[in-house]
Amino acid sequence: MSKKIDPRLPKEVGTGLYPVKSPWDKIISYHDAAHYAQRYTNVVSAAIMQAFRVLVPDYVERSKAMCTNAYNRLSFVYEKIPGYPEMNADQLHMHPFMRGNFVGGLIGDGGDEDLLMCGRVNDFGTYRAEKELDVCYWDLVGTELCRSTTQSLQACADHAAKLRPEGPHLEYHMVEAKGAGDRHCRIVAECRKKFPMPEHEQWECFGPVGSEDQIKFTKEEDCVDESMMFREECDYLFSNGTNTEKDWRSAYPMVTMSYGATYILPTLDDLIREGRLENDEVDRVIHCVCEAAGKATFLDDFAKEGLRQWLGVPHSISKDDGRLMGGYLEMFLQSMRIEYEIEAFNNEECIYVIDWKGLANNMPKMVDAYRWFWYGMTKSLVNAQWSLWEEDSPEGKFRIKIAKKVDKFC
Amino acid sequence: MNYPYPVMYKNVYKYDDMKRAEHMAVRNTVGWYLWTHQLVEVTGADCVEFLEMIFPKNIGNLAPGRERYTTMLDEKGEIIDDVVVFRMEEKKFWISTLFRADMFRWFEAHKGSFDVSWTDITPQWEMYAVQGPKSLEMVNRLAAEPVDGQKFFEMKANQIDGVSVYINRAGYTGEKLGYEIYFPKAEAPAMEKKLRALAEELGGREVTEFQVMAWTLPCEAGYYYMRDLRHTNPFETGLEGGINWDKDFIGKEALAKIRDEGAEREVVGFTVAEADIHIKGRNMGNEGEFVYKDGEYVGRCMKITYSYVNETNNGTIICRKGALKAGDKVTMHGHEAVICEPKFI
Repeated sequence: MSKKIDPRLPKEVGTGLYPVKSPWDKIISYHDAAHYAQRYTNVVSAAIMQAFRVLVPDYVERSKAMCTNAYNRLSFVYEKIPGYPEMNADQLHMHPFMRGNFVGGLIGDGGDEDLLMCGRVNDFGTYRAEKELDVCYWDLVGTELCRSTTQSLQACADHAAKLRPEGPHLEYHMVEAKGAGDRHCRIVAECRKKFPMPEHEQWECFGPVGSEDQIKFTKEEDCVDESMMFREECDYLFSNGTNTEKDWRSAYPMVTMSYGATYILPTLDDLIREGRLENDEVDRVIHCVCEAAGKATFLDDFAKEGLRQWLGVPHSISKDDGRLMGGYLEMFLQSMRIEYEIEAFNNEECIYVIDWKGLANNMPKMVDAYRWFWYGMTKSLVNAQWSLWEEDSPEGKFRIKIAKKVDKFC
Repeated sequence: MNYPYPVMYKNVYKYDDMKRAEHMAVRNTVGWYLWTHQLVEVTGADCVEFLEMIFPKNIGNLAPGRERYTTMLDEKGEIIDDVVVFRMEEKKFWISTLFRADMFRWFEAHKGSFDVSWTDITPQWEMYAVQGPKSLEMVNRLAAEPVDGQKFFEMKANQIDGVSVYINRAGYTGEKLGYEIYFPKAEAPAMEKKLRALAEELGGREVTEFQVMAWTLPCEAGYYYMRDLRHTNPFETGLEGGINWDKDFIGKEALAKIRDEGAEREVVGFTVAEADIHIKGRNMGNEGEFVYKDGEYVGRCMKITYSYVNETNNGTIICRKGALKAGDKVTMHGHEAVICEPKFI
């Protein structure tokens, strides 16, 4: 094969010099790219959650493992990264007189905004806080994730409190979860001394809460669908109650760093380390599930038509052209700000050399999940003659090839 | 549609006995609370000239031991912080802020050739507010030297149980009598025990709820919190008094233009008689509920909280200048509000 690169954008597309741009000059805005990155990674995460469900059939067991991991993982960030708690307190304007862990509300609020999960703070006090989200890009992953995100917030709150004067301890609950089909995600944090409730296990963090009658439920017609930084009436600025302000630039790198899989894969690593799961079995199930999910993505002709529009594919590119898959991958990689180089881009093959670290996001199994997801997609988006595989990856790179391939055992 | 929760908007202040008791202790007897702000110490041969440039109010004419509330402006004349500047010595100032990191960046950007330096001394001091009619009695029972003669916005060295402290007559509650005690951090736990016991003896209590110390008490008194002031200028918020137009300061040119042409917006107060409401105030961090008068958009809700003295929801609106006057009725998220002065007691 020629390895030639057909006329197209310069190779450095996606490295920061250019906006997100398809090989056919379709430009995607920063706003759309951020939203796309959030949704995409969580669709892959939804597949990985299904793998987790195959591996660990019991809901409670999965939830417990994820909640434990989430709490410990965020604790690690606060305990081991020098200066992180102080920086966090400065950026979010946690005032020196604020006692206890209610300041976790500020952390959650700012994080939601960066992750494009828009909504509003309904209450923020020393003994009770309430945040309501109208949008959650993680809402299709599974409720085990909703529970574990509550525990990551609990960890942030508890560790932020260590820098603060001693004060009331709030327990964070997600009493509504979009992932469970509710209209909102709703976190209610409350102090048990003021709002007594029975003891419960860590994973049982969906409520009930003692201040249910204080909930402010926003009706459908008043809901929003964009973060403050993308809303005109907010002057395109996020602001919190303690005068922190940030603009659209804060969406990155958060949308590329945090998604459902960042909760699930580290949990699987825990279970492997503890001897409760076998590494090979985990890899096998992730392979099977992600391949199937990838195949299902473009099973309909209208999905392929939609993709052509998204990429601005000219009619001269046939429906059986591997460059469709290449263009699709490039949009994702650029939206995720993952560096890559193009070795070949023509109607016989596309070859990309992708930064492994960027793709992995500290989770080696994420690279495998993408590999099988994209392999499956290639089969349905292009056709079954085509394949996607890793080949001759240099150190620190993930080199993938999209071309026709016969494999009697695929 | 059936919602998972009834849409009833129960008031989070009105029915809360704990918040009420803490708030009313300050109004009726005495309330004390940890009120430590970030403290920035500014020194150097040019510290006066530097601070005169940074702040629109006079700094150089402060006598040692006296202090001044002032805004800090950007080049557009917008308020980027509101602080209290203490003159501790001829060439030593303390600035009380809640946004030290931002202040440091601002100072650094404008230091130029001034011989001035600044340090964060927050780790050295804990500050306790003692506020209310019995605060004088409470502080006098603690301090070695009586504080009866101390003027408002005057800070003096004193001693409590042999520990050197500063006692400042000031507060963020609107109380005629109120003090702030700066105590060495290491001694703070012992100080808290003393304050707790003494307050109880005087029929007062500790204020523990952030919403009371930062919102309900100051709002009744017509005080701002910096979040209220963000993206406003002193002429919109009634903070133009005391600006020294005879000196150069950052934002002067833009502010003079606003002065000459008139501010476009102003702050008014409001009350909402209906108890159970859902109105978004910027104090929670958002765009602020839209305010309508006779169906016309006139402004945004700046802050909403509750007056335990008047037993009503209260707050402030930033609106088009002249659009609202006392007695006007407006709606916010379907709730009726009545416009008043932005001071409630």
